[in-house]
Amino acid sequence: MNLKQFLWASALISISFACSDSGDEKPLGKYESGILIMNEGNFGTNDGEVYHLNPNTQELLPNIFEAENARPFAGLLEDMVLEADRLYLVANTGKVEIVNPGDFKSSGAVVADLDQPRSLAVNGSKLFISDYGPYDDNYGTPDSYIAVVNGLDGGVVSKKIEVSNKPEDLFAHGNYIIVAGSEENKIEIIDATQEAVVTTLDLEASPRQFYAEDGVLWVYAVAADEVIFYTVNLSSLTLGTSYTVPVANATSRIAFDGDDEMYVLTSSGWPDYNDAVVSIDIEGNAATVTELMTGSGFYGIGFDDERDQIYVSNSNGFQGNGTVTVLSESGSVIKTFEAGRGPSGFLVY
Amino acid sequence: MTLLLWVYSFVGFSPISQDTIPLAEVEVYAPALDRFAQGQKVISWSKKDLQDFQGRSLGDILQEQSPVFVRQYGAGMIASPSFRGTSAGHTAVFWNGLPINSPSLGQSDLSILPVSAIDQVSLQFGNAGALFGNEAIGGSVHLGTESEFGKGFHAGISQQIGSFGLFNSSAYAGFSTSNFSSKTKIYREFAKNNFPYKDLGQFGTPEVKEDHAQFEQIGIVQDLAWNLNDNNQLKTAFWWNKTNREVQPVIGSNTEDEQEDQAFRAVIDYFHFEEKSIWNLKTGFVRNEQLFNSSQNNSTQYFLAGDWDQEISTKWTSKLGARYTLTKGDLSTYQAEDNRIELYQSTNFSPSEKLSFALNLRQLVYDGTFAPFTPNLGMDWSFWNRNSQSLQLKTSLGKGFKVPTLNDRFWNPGGNPELLPEESLSGEIALTWNKTGNLNWKQSLTYYKMSVDNWIIWLPKGSFWTPENIKKVSNQGVEYQGNLDGKFGMWNWELTTSYTFSKAITSEAVDENDQSVGKQLPYSPQHQANAKIRVEIQDFSAFASTFYVGERSVTADNPRLIPSYQLYNLGLGYSGLQLGEIRFPLSFQINNILDTDYQVLYLRAMPGRSFQFNLSILL
Repeated sequence: MNLKQFLWASALISISFACSDSGDEKPLGKYESGILIMNEGNFGTNDGEVYHLNPNTQELLPNIFEAENARPFAGLLEDMVLEADRLYLVANTGKVEIVNPGDFKSSGAVVADLDQPRSLAVNGSKLFISDYGPYDDNYGTPDSYIAVVNGLDGGVVSKKIEVSNKPEDLFAHGNYIIVAGSEENKIEIIDATQEAVVTTLDLEASPRQFYAEDGVLWVYAVAADEVIFYTVNLSSLTLGTSYTVPVANATSRIAFDGDDEMYVLTSSGWPDYNDAVVSIDIEGNAATVTELMTGSGFYGIGFDDERDQIYVSNSNGFQGNGTVTVLSESGSVIKTFEAGRGPSGFLVY
Repeated sequence: MTLLLWVYSFVGFSPISQDTIPLAEVEVYAPALDRFAQGQKVISWSKKDLQDFQGRSLGDILQEQSPVFVRQYGAGMIASPSFRGTSAGHTAVFWNGLPINSPSLGQSDLSILPVSAIDQVSLQFGNAGALFGNEAIGGSVHLGTESEFGKGFHAGISQQIGSFGLFNSSAYAGFSTSNFSSKTKIYREFAKNNFPYKDLGQFGTPEVKEDHAQFEQIGIVQDLAWNLNDNNQLKTAFWWNKTNREVQPVIGSNTEDEQEDQAFRAVIDYFHFEEKSIWNLKTGFVRNEQLFNSSQNNSTQYFLAGDWDQEISTKWTSKLGARYTLTKGDLSTYQAEDNRIELYQSTNFSPSEKLSFALNLRQLVYDGTFAPFTPNLGMDWSFWNRNSQSLQLKTSLGKGFKVPTLNDRFWNPGGNPELLPEESLSGEIALTWNKTGNLNWKQSLTYYKMSVDNWIIWLPKGSFWTPENIKKVSNQGVEYQGNLDGKFGMWNWELTTSYTFSKAITSEAVDENDQSVGKQLPYSPQHQANAKIRVEIQDFSAFASTFYVGERSVTADNPRLIPSYQLYNLGLGYSGLQLGEIRFPLSFQINNILDTDYQVLYLRAMPGRSFQFNLSILL
């Protein structure tokens, strides 16, 4: 059960894996299983939403938050975190909505005292929410924090724990919350009871995503010309082996397939804007890098472990709805379909 | 300005015969917008029409009384015009003949153009690149102030109090002799805008009060005019306007942005009248300063223009002119300078009183690049006259263009200096039916068709956005406009109605994934309508008005539609209070009487029912 919790806690936008635990006792809701497509929405429009895809029937249900709650999501959807029987929808416009993953009915929210929340982790009966904090005059975020909320169905922020600038992913383990401090290349470890940072680990690259597998916590970190996969020893909370892979222009979007293989989106930026889907296979100390697809406008990535399929989304310039392309592991296109505005990640469950 | 001809008021729009008019009789200069605008649709509001909109913005009158759709980001927030389904940047805006669109943004915010500062408003629809130059693609807006001669001293103050913390004050004073005229207006407009709305972003959609939409605006307008002698006249106008706004966040966000906009505008016109011609030398200055949080974006434009308007014969008139514009942009991420020269020529040929043609031509060169050459041909033909009724046919064909804005070209990062100007082609045909008598009416039906090519869209590329000439759009539609007035015993009444059908679709899309081809452009309602009835009996007046805006989509591929809405306003006025020479007109107004919950743009809360009380003291 512990491992499952770890996995859910790290089930970020781009992480996907099969839920092998099929002995669920609750009645199956409409959205009990399948693939959730997270659509970030457009800045200034707050039209973030969730689509649900049934990969067996190919039935695609749009805007399921609004459909089930009779109100728009009204936010920019940054992250979706599934934790036991709650799905946390983190909006970087300053709120967290909590829904029942089975029927998507709203069960609570955190609406006050947040600035730009990025992700969330659950520890005991507390929610920990990473937040960039407010922008200063130069669009810097010197007051980033981890907000603490007592209660799994939301409520008020009881404390803000100061951390390094631009915290991203969070991971709960035992009594600790592990923070990816993306701007200052740090991993900060918070004691969930004391609600304070107790240890800081310095990295050579910017940490973006956690992924736990077989008791090992992987940290995906990016630098200009390479990506580094760190491992964290969860019992001693120290860094273990790391793997440096020469992938240039990597973005924070990554999907893990559960077998030491990852799929990363890269983007060359100015002036060519070439985006690519790259697979990274780590065997022992060697890493193989393969370019699976190139294009422009790639915005999110996910992996369906059950069918061994890669989901790549394209924002289509935020001019309207985005599209999703499903690839085989070798990179051949299986199909393409339309999703919501700015599709940015997938949750396969 | 270059293109609006200033003619003698009592000559109106008829062909001028300047040699017969002694200058001493000159009272008011009025921009004869449609002197070379044959075939084009023009709507005008006089000072009296603007009375019902005192204390409100230009955006309100355009939305409630014209076929223009105003994209409004909340109460008192940015409001941009969309003429015939085109974008905000496709509308040229002029003040006393100076183009006042921000050169960095290429558009104007109608919320910070207060009706209090303006004496007249005209709208021209369709391509008029030849007559009005850059950005006159969907249409153009012409604002003016007026000078009067020989009126002595007059003054007034006016106070408005209303819902949601509305507190507007204004004062004016004017003095004129037969040769000199001065008028000063000052105003302060304030609204707390703490209106209640349903917070759709929260569980249970509770009713909350808007707490970040405060609006404060102050300004001063100064007009001066001199009749130097029988043949020469000088006219100047100056307008300073400063607006401080809390930027109303989109529902679901808790941003606390603040914006300050400051504009200085000045224009000097020198007119020299000869027997059959008028020379106009115009120079102007427009400075915009915008502070968004701590990001400062400034621009300054200097204008120098001259034109020569001559009556060649009773049938032919012609105008030839040139304008030089120097723009200096000092933006938060770049500095840029832009030089423009444009030459224009207009010819009017009126073979008879019932038929006239106009041919307008313009070529603009910016920083050595030729903008598309824009010709325009128009015709007005009164082909049927019987008793008190007449039918008139108006038709025109023309081109328009938009030079990429400074931000489009130079914004760092992302600006694209390689951008081409947007280019448009449009044609329209209109039938107007006039009747005069006990019951007067004027009804017109217009069909238009246009296309805009090289439409500029900003697209995200990696970590920033960059503009490209990527889209092609085609628009067509029908506009009906009706005015009906008459007398019923002691009662004077007037009914104005309008209906617009606009189909504005994407004909060439961004890329193969773009699902927008064949679909209606975002925030471009297909249906719009408005009606206003006004009655007057002695010193009492009342009006009731309504306007309807149809469904709009949020994006070009139309997956999400915002519901249509219809709002009703009501006003009452009494102008009989008098104490000696001093008059005290009173008025009362209710906006959104039915307290309709609506959004103009997605998730932008708008105020419900509001009340407004006006008291003026006029000397």
